[in-house]
Amino acid sequence: MFYVYLVILAVVLALTVWVLFDTKKLSLQITAAMVIVPLLLRLLMIK
Amino acid sequence: MQKHRITAIVCFAGALVASALAGASFLSMRKPDLIVRGPGVTEKKMLSEWFSGLKGTAGDTEVYVMRGSDDGASMLILGGTHPNEPAGHLAAILFIENVVPRTGTLYVIPRANASGFTANDPQEGAPQRFTIQTPNGPRVFSYGSRATNPIHQWPDPNVYIHASSGQTLSGSETRNLNRGYPGRPDGTLTEKVCYGIVQLIRQQKVTITVDLHEASPEYPVINAIVAHPKAMQLASDTVLGLEMQDIKISLEPSPVNLRGLSHRELGDFTDTLPVLMETANASQGRLRGRTDEALVLTGKDKWYVRAAKLGRLYVPYDEHGHPLEERVGRHVTAISELMNSWNLEHPEMPLEVEGVPDYEGLLTKGVGAYLLPPK
Repeated sequence: MFYVYLVILAVVLALTVWVLFDTKKLSLQITAAMVIVPLLLRLLMIK
Repeated sequence: MQKHRITAIVCFAGALVASALAGASFLSMRKPDLIVRGPGVTEKKMLSEWFSGLKGTAGDTEVYVMRGSDDGASMLILGGTHPNEPAGHLAAILFIENVVPRTGTLYVIPRANASGFTANDPQEGAPQRFTIQTPNGPRVFSYGSRATNPIHQWPDPNVYIHASSGQTLSGSETRNLNRGYPGRPDGTLTEKVCYGIVQLIRQQKVTITVDLHEASPEYPVINAIVAHPKAMQLASDTVLGLEMQDIKISLEPSPVNLRGLSHRELGDFTDTLPVLMETANASQGRLRGRTDEALVLTGKDKWYVRAAKLGRLYVPYDEHGHPLEERVGRHVTAISELMNSWNLEHPEMPLEVEGVPDYEGLLTKGVGAYLLPPK
Protein backbone atom coordinates (compact mmCIF):
# COMPACT_ATOMS: atom_id res chain seq x y z
CA MET A 1 0.00 0.00 0.00
CA PHE A 2 2.83 2.36 0.92
CA TYR A 3 4.56 1.90 -2.44
CA VAL A 4 1.27 2.31 -4.34
CA TYR A 5 0.89 5.63 -2.50
CA LEU A 6 4.38 6.71 -3.55
CA VAL A 7 3.73 5.78 -7.18
CA ILE A 8 0.49 7.80 -7.22
CA LEU A 9 2.39 10.69 -5.65
CA ALA A 10 5.18 10.47 -8.24
CA VAL A 11 2.65 10.47 -11.09
CA VAL A 12 0.85 13.55 -9.69
CA LEU A 13 4.19 15.30 -9.23
CA ALA A 14 5.24 14.49 -12.80
CA LEU A 15 1.93 15.79 -14.17
CA THR A 16 2.31 18.99 -12.15
CA VAL A 17 5.80 19.55 -13.55
CA TRP A 18 4.48 18.85 -17.04
CA VAL A 19 1.72 21.45 -16.58
CA LEU A 20 4.28 23.96 -15.32
CA PHE A 21 6.34 23.63 -18.50
CA ASP A 22 3.39 23.23 -20.88
CA THR A 23 1.17 26.14 -19.89
CA LYS A 24 1.66 29.67 -21.15
CA LYS A 25 -0.20 31.25 -18.23
CA LEU A 26 2.19 32.67 -15.64
CA SER A 27 -0.40 32.37 -12.84
CA LEU A 28 -0.77 28.64 -13.54
CA GLN A 29 2.99 28.21 -13.61
CA ILE A 30 3.31 29.87 -10.19
CA THR A 31 0.48 27.71 -8.84
CA ALA A 32 2.13 24.56 -10.17
CA ALA A 33 5.44 25.57 -8.59
CA MET A 34 3.73 26.00 -5.21
CA VAL A 35 2.02 22.60 -5.54
CA ILE A 36 5.35 20.93 -6.33
CA VAL A 37 6.84 21.81 -2.91
CA PRO A 38 4.58 19.66 -0.65
CA LEU A 39 4.43 16.85 -3.24
CA LEU A 40 8.21 16.68 -3.42
CA LEU A 41 8.63 16.82 0.37
CA ARG A 42 6.15 13.97 0.78
CA LEU A 43 7.69 11.89 -2.02
CA LEU A 44 11.03 12.15 -0.24
CA MET A 45 9.25 11.32 3.04
CA ILE A 46 10.51 14.49 4.67
CA LYS A 47 7.16 16.00 5.67
CA MET B 1 13.73 30.30 -26.12
CA GLN B 2 10.04 31.10 -25.74
CA LYS B 3 9.10 33.41 -22.90
CA HIS B 4 6.86 30.89 -21.14
CA ARG B 5 9.72 28.37 -21.10
CA ILE B 6 11.93 30.86 -19.30
CA THR B 7 9.28 31.62 -16.68
CA ALA B 8 8.66 27.88 -16.25
CA ILE B 9 12.34 27.28 -15.54
CA VAL B 10 12.38 30.15 -13.05
CA CYS B 11 9.26 28.84 -11.28
CA PHE B 12 10.62 25.29 -11.21
CA ALA B 13 13.94 26.47 -9.80
CA GLY B 14 12.03 28.46 -7.17
CA ALA B 15 10.06 25.35 -6.20
CA LEU B 16 13.26 23.34 -5.82
CA VAL B 17 14.91 26.03 -3.68
CA ALA B 18 11.79 26.33 -1.49
CA SER B 19 11.66 22.53 -1.13
CA ALA B 20 15.34 22.39 -0.15
CA LEU B 21 14.97 25.13 2.46
CA ALA B 22 11.76 23.69 3.91
CA GLY B 23 13.16 20.14 3.79
CA ALA B 24 16.30 21.15 5.69
CA SER B 25 14.16 22.86 8.30
CA PHE B 26 11.89 19.82 8.74
CA LEU B 27 14.81 17.37 8.80
CA SER B 28 16.52 19.41 11.54
CA MET B 29 13.69 18.41 13.89
CA ARG B 30 14.77 14.78 13.68
CA LYS B 31 17.87 15.51 15.75
CA PRO B 32 16.98 14.67 19.37
CA ASP B 33 17.40 17.32 22.05
CA LEU B 34 20.47 17.19 24.23
CA ILE B 35 19.78 15.55 27.58
CA VAL B 36 22.72 15.40 30.00
CA ARG B 37 23.11 12.33 32.19
CA GLY B 38 22.84 13.57 35.77
CA PRO B 39 24.55 12.11 38.84
CA GLY B 40 21.58 9.84 39.62
CA VAL B 41 21.42 8.08 36.25
CA THR B 42 22.74 4.53 36.57
CA GLU B 43 21.77 3.24 33.09
CA LYS B 44 20.45 4.61 29.85
CA LYS B 45 18.39 2.04 27.97
CA MET B 46 15.97 2.01 25.07
CA LEU B 47 12.30 1.07 25.30
CA SER B 48 12.97 -1.69 22.76
CA GLU B 49 14.80 -3.56 25.53
CA TRP B 50 11.35 -4.24 26.99
CA PHE B 51 9.62 -4.73 23.65
CA SER B 52 11.88 -5.71 20.76
CA GLY B 53 9.21 -4.80 18.20
CA LEU B 54 10.25 -1.15 18.61
CA LYS B 55 13.90 -1.69 17.77
CA GLY B 56 15.00 0.41 14.81
CA THR B 57 11.69 2.29 14.61
CA ALA B 58 10.97 5.98 15.14
CA GLY B 59 9.00 4.99 18.24
CA ASP B 60 11.97 3.61 20.15
CA THR B 61 12.93 6.03 22.90
CA GLU B 62 15.40 6.51 25.75
CA VAL B 63 14.66 5.19 29.22
CA TYR B 64 16.86 6.66 31.97
CA VAL B 65 17.19 4.27 34.91
CA MET B 66 18.05 5.88 38.24
CA ARG B 67 18.62 3.22 40.86
CA GLY B 68 19.10 4.05 44.54
CA SER B 69 21.61 2.26 46.73
CA ASP B 70 18.82 0.53 48.68
CA ASP B 71 15.73 -1.30 47.46
CA GLY B 72 12.38 0.43 47.61
CA ALA B 73 9.42 1.40 45.49
CA SER B 74 9.75 2.46 41.87
CA MET B 75 8.28 5.24 39.77
CA LEU B 76 7.99 5.73 36.01
CA ILE B 77 7.94 9.36 34.86
CA LEU B 78 6.58 9.91 31.35
CA GLY B 79 7.43 13.26 29.73
CA GLY B 80 6.72 14.11 26.11
CA THR B 81 3.64 11.96 25.68
CA HIS B 82 2.42 15.03 23.79
CA PRO B 83 5.51 16.82 22.46
CA ASN B 84 3.64 20.15 22.19
CA GLU B 85 3.33 20.22 25.99
CA PRO B 86 6.83 21.30 26.99
CA ALA B 87 6.44 21.45 30.78
CA GLY B 88 6.07 17.66 30.95
CA HIS B 89 9.10 17.09 28.75
CA LEU B 90 11.23 19.53 30.76
CA ALA B 91 10.11 18.27 34.17
CA ALA B 92 11.26 14.78 33.16
CA ILE B 93 14.61 16.23 32.01
CA LEU B 94 15.06 18.07 35.31
CA PHE B 95 14.67 14.75 37.13
CA ILE B 96 17.27 13.12 34.87
CA GLU B 97 19.78 15.95 35.31
CA ASN B 98 19.31 16.70 39.03
CA VAL B 99 17.79 13.92 41.08
CA VAL B 100 19.68 11.18 42.92
CA PRO B 101 17.58 8.33 44.38
CA ARG B 102 18.56 6.98 47.81
CA THR B 103 16.05 4.14 47.98
CA GLY B 104 14.03 2.68 45.14
CA THR B 105 14.28 3.23 41.40
CA LEU B 106 13.18 5.92 38.99
CA TYR B 107 12.54 5.18 35.33
CA VAL B 108 12.30 8.37 33.28
CA ILE B 109 11.19 8.51 29.66
CA PRO B 110 11.54 12.18 28.64
CA ARG B 111 10.37 11.69 25.03
CA ALA B 112 7.58 9.14 25.36
CA ASN B 113 6.39 9.83 21.82
CA ALA B 114 9.80 10.23 20.19
CA SER B 115 8.24 10.34 16.72
CA GLY B 116 6.07 13.29 17.75
CA PHE B 117 9.19 15.37 18.43
CA THR B 118 10.30 15.07 14.78
CA ALA B 119 7.50 17.28 13.43
CA ASN B 120 5.06 19.88 14.62
CA ASP B 121 1.38 20.25 13.91
CA PRO B 122 0.47 21.84 10.58
CA GLN B 123 -1.59 25.05 10.56
CA GLU B 124 -0.81 25.83 14.21
CA GLY B 125 1.96 28.36 13.58
CA ALA B 126 3.89 26.84 16.48
CA PRO B 127 7.66 27.30 16.76
CA GLN B 128 9.81 24.26 15.97
CA ARG B 129 11.90 24.77 19.08
CA PHE B 130 12.45 27.08 22.03
CA THR B 131 15.58 28.19 23.86
CA ILE B 132 16.23 28.27 27.58
CA GLN B 133 19.11 30.36 28.87
CA THR B 134 21.32 28.57 31.40
CA PRO B 135 24.44 29.72 33.28
CA ASN B 136 26.41 27.63 30.76
CA GLY B 137 24.80 29.03 27.62
CA PRO B 138 21.54 28.41 25.77
CA ARG B 139 19.85 24.99 25.61
CA VAL B 140 17.44 24.33 22.77
CA PHE B 141 14.39 22.04 23.03
CA SER B 142 11.95 20.80 20.41
CA TYR B 143 8.33 21.90 20.35
CA GLY B 144 6.82 18.92 18.60
CA SER B 145 3.47 17.59 17.53
CA ARG B 146 0.70 16.31 19.77
CA ALA B 147 0.77 13.04 17.84
CA THR B 148 3.08 10.62 16.08
CA ASN B 149 4.64 12.02 12.89
CA PRO B 150 2.45 10.92 9.93
CA ILE B 151 5.67 10.14 8.06
CA HIS B 152 6.10 7.30 10.57
CA GLN B 153 2.46 6.19 10.77
CA TRP B 154 0.15 6.61 7.83
CA PRO B 155 -2.66 6.67 6.77
CA ASP B 156 -5.07 7.69 9.50
CA PRO B 157 -8.35 5.78 9.39
CA ASN B 158 -11.59 7.73 9.12
CA VAL B 159 -12.51 6.43 12.57
CA TYR B 160 -10.02 5.28 15.19
CA ILE B 161 -11.25 2.20 17.03
CA HIS B 162 -9.48 1.61 20.35
CA ALA B 163 -8.43 -2.02 20.18
CA SER B 164 -9.25 -3.33 23.64
CA SER B 165 -12.54 -1.44 24.22
CA GLY B 166 -13.98 -0.76 20.76
CA GLN B 167 -14.32 2.94 21.63
CA THR B 168 -14.45 5.14 18.53
CA LEU B 169 -12.65 8.45 18.14
CA SER B 170 -11.71 10.69 15.24
CA GLY B 171 -9.19 9.13 12.87
CA SER B 172 -6.23 11.34 13.82
CA GLU B 173 -6.41 10.08 17.41
CA THR B 174 -4.88 6.85 16.12
CA ARG B 175 -1.52 8.68 16.41
CA ASN B 176 -2.20 9.99 19.94
CA LEU B 177 -0.05 8.07 22.44
CA ASN B 178 -2.49 8.86 25.21
CA ARG B 179 -5.35 7.15 23.39
CA GLY B 180 -3.47 3.96 22.56
CA TYR B 181 -2.94 2.18 25.91
CA PRO B 182 -2.52 -0.67 26.68
CA GLY B 183 -1.23 -0.98 23.12
CA ARG B 184 -0.69 -3.99 20.89
CA PRO B 185 2.52 -5.74 19.83
CA ASP B 186 1.22 -6.00 16.25
CA GLY B 187 -0.60 -2.65 16.15
CA THR B 188 0.33 0.75 14.77
CA LEU B 189 3.62 2.40 15.76
CA THR B 190 1.78 4.39 18.44
CA GLU B 191 0.17 1.24 19.84
CA LYS B 192 3.58 -0.46 19.87
CA VAL B 193 5.04 2.37 21.96
CA CYS B 194 2.12 2.04 24.38
CA TYR B 195 2.71 -1.71 24.51
CA GLY B 196 6.44 -1.14 25.19
CA ILE B 197 5.64 1.16 28.12
CA VAL B 198 3.19 -1.41 29.51
CA GLN B 199 5.87 -4.11 29.21
CA LEU B 200 8.35 -1.92 31.11
CA ILE B 201 5.80 -1.37 33.89
CA ARG B 202 5.00 -5.08 34.12
CA GLN B 203 8.54 -6.42 33.93
CA GLN B 204 10.02 -3.86 36.35
CA LYS B 205 6.95 -4.01 38.62
CA VAL B 206 6.72 -0.22 38.61
CA THR B 207 4.87 0.99 41.71
CA ILE B 208 3.73 4.45 40.53
CA THR B 209 3.44 5.87 37.00
CA VAL B 210 3.22 9.63 36.39
CA ASP B 211 2.23 10.91 32.94
CA LEU B 212 3.07 14.62 32.57
CA HIS B 213 0.87 16.81 30.37
CA GLU B 214 -0.28 20.34 29.72
CA ALA B 215 -3.69 21.59 28.63
CA SER B 216 -5.29 24.64 27.08
CA PRO B 217 -6.48 27.18 29.68
CA GLU B 218 -10.05 26.76 28.40
CA TYR B 219 -9.95 22.99 28.99
CA PRO B 220 -11.81 21.91 32.15
CA VAL B 221 -9.19 19.41 33.34
CA ILE B 222 -6.31 21.73 34.12
CA ASN B 223 -3.95 22.34 37.04
CA ALA B 224 -5.13 18.92 38.03
CA ILE B 225 -4.17 15.39 38.92
CA VAL B 226 -6.22 12.69 37.21
CA ALA B 227 -6.03 9.41 39.11
CA HIS B 228 -7.13 5.84 38.54
CA PRO B 229 -9.40 4.62 41.38
CA LYS B 230 -6.63 2.54 42.90
CA ALA B 231 -4.30 5.58 42.92
CA MET B 232 -6.95 7.90 44.39
CA GLN B 233 -5.70 7.70 47.99
CA LEU B 234 -2.16 8.49 46.90
CA ALA B 235 -3.36 11.35 44.69
CA SER B 236 -5.60 12.75 47.47
CA ASP B 237 -2.68 12.85 49.89
CA THR B 238 -0.60 14.54 47.19
CA VAL B 239 -3.22 17.23 46.59
CA LEU B 240 -3.33 17.97 50.32
CA GLY B 241 0.46 18.21 50.40
CA LEU B 242 0.48 20.61 47.47
CA GLU B 243 -2.29 22.75 48.96
CA MET B 244 -0.18 23.06 52.12
CA GLN B 245 2.53 24.54 49.89
CA ASP B 246 -0.07 26.94 48.49
CA ILE B 247 -0.12 25.19 45.09
CA LYS B 248 -3.74 25.00 43.98
CA ILE B 249 -4.53 21.75 42.22
CA SER B 250 -7.70 19.75 41.69
CA LEU B 251 -8.21 16.02 41.82
CA GLU B 252 -10.15 14.31 39.03
CA PRO B 253 -11.19 10.66 38.91
CA SER B 254 -10.19 8.80 35.76
CA PRO B 255 -13.41 8.42 33.71
CA VAL B 256 -14.39 4.78 33.27
CA ASN B 257 -15.69 5.31 29.74
CA LEU B 258 -12.80 7.31 28.33
CA ARG B 259 -10.48 4.62 27.05
CA GLY B 260 -6.91 4.43 25.89
CA LEU B 261 -5.57 6.97 28.37
CA SER B 262 -2.65 6.24 30.68
CA HIS B 263 -4.54 6.97 33.92
CA ARG B 264 -7.23 4.45 32.95
CA GLU B 265 -5.55 1.63 31.04
CA LEU B 266 -2.27 1.43 32.98
CA GLY B 267 -4.35 0.98 36.12
CA ASP B 268 -6.62 -1.62 34.54
CA PHE B 269 -3.92 -3.63 32.74
CA THR B 270 -0.96 -3.42 35.15
CA ASP B 271 -0.32 -3.29 38.90
CA THR B 272 1.05 0.27 38.81
CA LEU B 273 -0.71 3.24 40.42
CA PRO B 274 -1.19 5.66 37.50
CA VAL B 275 -1.74 9.39 37.70
CA LEU B 276 -1.73 12.07 35.01
CA MET B 277 -0.96 15.72 35.69
CA GLU B 278 -1.93 18.85 33.76
CA THR B 279 -0.68 22.45 33.79
CA ALA B 280 -1.89 25.51 31.82
CA ASN B 281 -0.17 25.98 28.46
CA ALA B 282 -1.46 28.89 26.39
CA SER B 283 0.65 27.97 23.36
CA GLN B 284 -1.57 24.98 22.62
CA GLY B 285 -4.87 26.72 23.32
CA ARG B 286 -7.53 27.65 20.77
CA LEU B 287 -7.96 31.22 22.02
CA ARG B 288 -4.33 32.24 21.76
CA GLY B 289 -3.00 35.07 19.64
CA ARG B 290 0.51 35.20 18.25
CA THR B 291 2.17 31.81 18.70
CA ASP B 292 5.90 32.00 19.13
CA GLU B 293 8.75 31.01 21.40
CA ALA B 294 7.91 33.81 23.82
CA LEU B 295 4.39 32.43 24.32
CA VAL B 296 5.82 28.96 25.07
CA LEU B 297 8.24 30.43 27.63
CA THR B 298 6.13 33.13 29.29
CA GLY B 299 2.54 32.00 28.73
CA LYS B 300 1.61 35.67 28.33
CA ASP B 301 -1.26 36.21 25.93
CA LYS B 302 -3.64 39.19 25.89
CA TRP B 303 -6.48 37.15 24.46
CA TYR B 304 -6.34 34.70 27.37
CA VAL B 305 -6.36 37.64 29.78
CA ARG B 306 -9.51 38.84 28.04
CA ALA B 307 -11.05 35.35 28.07
CA ALA B 308 -10.35 35.13 31.81
CA LYS B 309 -12.18 38.42 32.39
CA LEU B 310 -15.15 36.98 30.48
CA GLY B 311 -15.09 33.92 32.73
CA ARG B 312 -14.26 31.49 29.93
CA LEU B 313 -11.22 29.82 31.49
CA TYR B 314 -10.68 27.13 34.09
CA VAL B 315 -7.51 28.69 35.54
CA PRO B 316 -6.80 32.21 36.79
CA TYR B 317 -5.15 34.16 34.00
CA ASP B 318 -3.71 37.67 34.16
CA GLU B 319 -1.02 39.65 32.38
CA HIS B 320 1.68 37.63 34.14
CA GLY B 321 0.61 34.50 32.22
CA HIS B 322 1.74 31.05 33.29
CA PRO B 323 5.48 30.92 32.59
CA LEU B 324 7.30 27.69 31.83
CA GLU B 325 9.16 27.72 35.16
CA GLU B 326 5.84 27.80 37.03
CA ARG B 327 4.42 24.94 34.96
CA VAL B 328 7.56 22.83 35.28
CA GLY B 329 7.68 23.68 38.98
CA ARG B 330 4.15 22.42 39.50
CA HIS B 331 5.01 19.08 37.85
CA VAL B 332 8.30 18.63 39.69
CA THR B 333 6.79 19.55 43.05
CA ALA B 334 3.78 17.31 42.51
CA ILE B 335 6.02 14.33 41.71
CA SER B 336 8.04 15.04 44.85
CA GLU B 337 4.82 15.23 46.85
CA LEU B 338 3.63 11.94 45.34
CA MET B 339 6.79 10.35 46.71
CA ASN B 340 6.28 11.94 50.14
CA SER B 341 2.69 10.68 50.22
CA TRP B 342 3.76 7.19 49.23
CA ASN B 343 6.51 7.14 51.87
CA LEU B 344 4.11 8.21 54.62
CA GLU B 345 1.79 5.30 53.83
CA HIS B 346 4.50 2.74 52.97
CA PRO B 347 7.55 3.31 55.20
CA GLU B 348 8.54 -0.34 54.65
CA MET B 349 9.09 0.28 50.91
CA PRO B 350 10.08 3.91 50.47
CA LEU B 351 11.02 5.89 47.40
CA GLU B 352 13.47 8.51 48.59
CA VAL B 353 15.37 10.94 46.39
CA GLU B 354 17.63 13.97 46.74
CA GLY B 355 18.19 16.96 44.53
CA VAL B 356 14.63 17.69 43.38
CA PRO B 357 14.51 21.34 42.23
CA ASP B 358 12.24 23.27 44.60
CA TYR B 359 9.24 25.27 43.44
CA GLU B 360 10.42 28.64 44.79
CA GLY B 361 13.86 28.08 43.30
CA LEU B 362 12.37 27.38 39.88
CA LEU B 363 10.18 30.49 40.09
CA THR B 364 13.05 32.76 41.07
CA LYS B 365 15.99 31.25 39.19
CA GLY B 366 14.18 29.70 36.22
CA VAL B 367 14.44 26.28 34.60
CA GLY B 368 17.85 27.07 33.11
CA ALA B 369 19.47 27.16 36.55
CA TYR B 370 18.76 23.43 36.89
CA LEU B 371 19.99 22.31 33.47
CA LEU B 372 23.47 20.80 33.43
CA PRO B 373 26.22 21.92 31.04
CA PRO B 374 26.84 19.63 28.06
CA LYS B 375 29.56 17.06 28.79
